[in-house]
Amino acid sequence: MKEKDDFFIGYIDEISNKTKVTLKTFVSLSLGFLILIAIVFALTQNTFKNSSFELTTSTKITGVYHEMPYPMLKVKTDKNEFKTIMLLGFGKLSANPFLKKIKRQTPNLSGSMLSIEGNLIYYNGKTLLQITSDEKITLLEKANPNRVPKAEYIAKNIELQGEIIDPKCYFGVMKPGNGKIHRSCAVLCISGGIPPVLATTDQNNISEYYIVTDLEGKPINKAILPYIGKPSIVSGTIYKLEDWYQLRISTNHIKELHLPSNIY
Amino acid sequence: MGVNYQTVLWNRNKKIYDRWIGLSMLIYLISFIGLTFITNVQTSVETLIIRAFGTLAIVLLHIILVIGPLSRINTRFLPLLYNRRHLGVSMFLAALIHGGFSLFQFHTLGNVNPIYALFSSNMDYNSLKNFPFQVLGFFALIILFLMAATSHDFWLKNLSAKSWKRLHMMVYFAYALIIMHVFLGSFQQQPSLWSTAILSFGFVVITALHISTGSKERKLDHIKTTDTNEGWDYVCDIDEIPEDRAKIFIVDNERIAVFKYNNKLSAISNVCKHQGGPLGEGKVVDGCVTCPWHGYQYLPHNGQSPPPFTEQVSTYRLKLIDKKVYVSPKALPEGTEVDPVIFNN
Ligand code: HEM
Ligand code: FES
Repeated sequence: MKEKDDFFIGYIDEISNKTKVTLKTFVSLSLGFLILIAIVFALTQNTFKNSSFELTTSTKITGVYHEMPYPMLKVKTDKNEFKTIMLLGFGKLSANPFLKKIKRQTPNLSGSMLSIEGNLIYYNGKTLLQITSDEKITLLEKANPNRVPKAEYIAKNIELQGEIIDPKCYFGVMKPGNGKIHRSCAVLCISGGIPPVLATTDQNNISEYYIVTDLEGKPINKAILPYIGKPSIVSGTIYKLEDWYQLRISTNHIKELHLPSNIY
Repeated sequence: MGVNYQTVLWNRNKKIYDRWIGLSMLIYLISFIGLTFITNVQTSVETLIIRAFGTLAIVLLHIILVIGPLSRINTRFLPLLYNRRHLGVSMFLAALIHGGFSLFQFHTLGNVNPIYALFSSNMDYNSLKNFPFQVLGFFALIILFLMAATSHDFWLKNLSAKSWKRLHMMVYFAYALIIMHVFLGSFQQQPSLWSTAILSFGFVVITALHISTGSKERKLDHIKTTDTNEGWDYVCDIDEIPEDRAKIFIVDNERIAVFKYNNKLSAISNVCKHQGGPLGEGKVVDGCVTCPWHGYQYLPHNGQSPPPFTEQVSTYRLKLIDKKVYVSPKALPEGTEVDPVIFNN
């Protein structure tokens, strides 16, 4: 076909050879770019952690219920060995709504033996349990105050560098469960009552986690929302409760570091 | 006449086009997902879906945005323009999967409704570093939705070509929002020279292509007659117009197309009633001026689409003095019959 007659009409099948060559070149180049871009975007993702969330498997755990100040269950794992499992609700909610029913029946729940069925979340030595229904909580033994773990004072005026995260996503439900990408979600979780946790990493890449409370050791949720998901220096008083640390703070003592969050 | 005239029907070219869209999307998804599984196996399914479809959408958007200027630069790219709307709708669907999953993953199951949560969880609107980038993606998705929903010719007619065009020009705004969505979101947490470079490269290519076609178009609008004869403007010599083709010219700030066919000359508006395609770059096929973009047709002597279609464009009077073509600058009402100028070779 002569070039000046090279005229494409979509609903007429014939296409001139020159146009065909142009189209083939365009399509091949596009496919090349497509694959190149897939490679770039796939390989520039940060490495995901090996955290786990057992969405489809439920596990029953039995232990001593207590609050620090957020609901926890101290579970015996071996002779004289215990693990404290943090209790969480479904979605972006705390365990409290799911504990309402049993608390009505047993007003002083702390120190009681409970058996709870839910989905496990775990990473780096910490374990959490998602409760999806208040039907899945059974009281085994009524409260015994001697069983309630006691907070042990460690130190005050301690400065810690880290990021305040929502433990549910961070320890398993989401990847990434920290940083800017995840921040809005973490804010929603913590405003829904999920305990804020400060995740830190030292020079040797050893991580430690601190459950954050107000200065009196009471839950802190609303006040801490603006500081979530940002690398910061947080100072406060450290307590230890079994295998978790607790950090009592005032939000006035949080300093934002203006660093990217991918180092944690 | 009219046997070839179809507006929106399936045909072989569209089917081939769609097959290539589907295949390309599949290749992209398989590459992204496969590579992530091989190199970063601890990923979660949700993140994989969010990222695979988000990045697919932005890649498709780039392809969509280069097709326009490419086919202005070289008419051999026009077949890519022909069915671009399917590419657009596919891109929207990919973006919807990305946005929908993100909305579900990050903003639902909380103590407030998800849309409210999207806007209010992160309130650092005054900081670039902490900006709630999801909001930008959300607005972009709304624009893409409106475009996809109105992509059918039914809407083109009902919204009027002008408002339709205005709506669809918002794709550039959506593009800007998406670029910021990525630079203020993902790229802050996963800074990488490679991914930044590739999106910047895309931006430069798109901008350069648009500037170059833009300046070409502006030049066209500055064509002036070199001779006026009793109110008639000189257009060109008759030999400058190829057979069955047109010369584009400007009168009264309007683009017109002067066609030469069958020893006749006729002038009509250059602007196709469908999506404003350049009729003057079209061709007379089966006696009808055929738009290069999607093949709408008009009779050269009255600017009317052959029945049963009802589109009409303005016509212009011509006269021939020796070999010189002159046009009367006043547009006649759309669809006005004008006797073609007849000439002998
Ligand atoms: C409701 C609307 C949207 C929401 C809530 C949203 C949310 C998000 C989130 C949370 C991320 C980070 C994901 C991650 O890296 O794990 C992201 C990244 C991204 N988004 Fe969106 N987005 C929306 C709309 C869009 C649209 C319309 C496009 C483009 C067409 C788009 C393109 C991208 C791209 C290319 C990335 C970077 C790659 C990635 O990390 O997935 N987004 N978006
Ligand atoms: S046929 Fe679509 S613009 Fe002319």
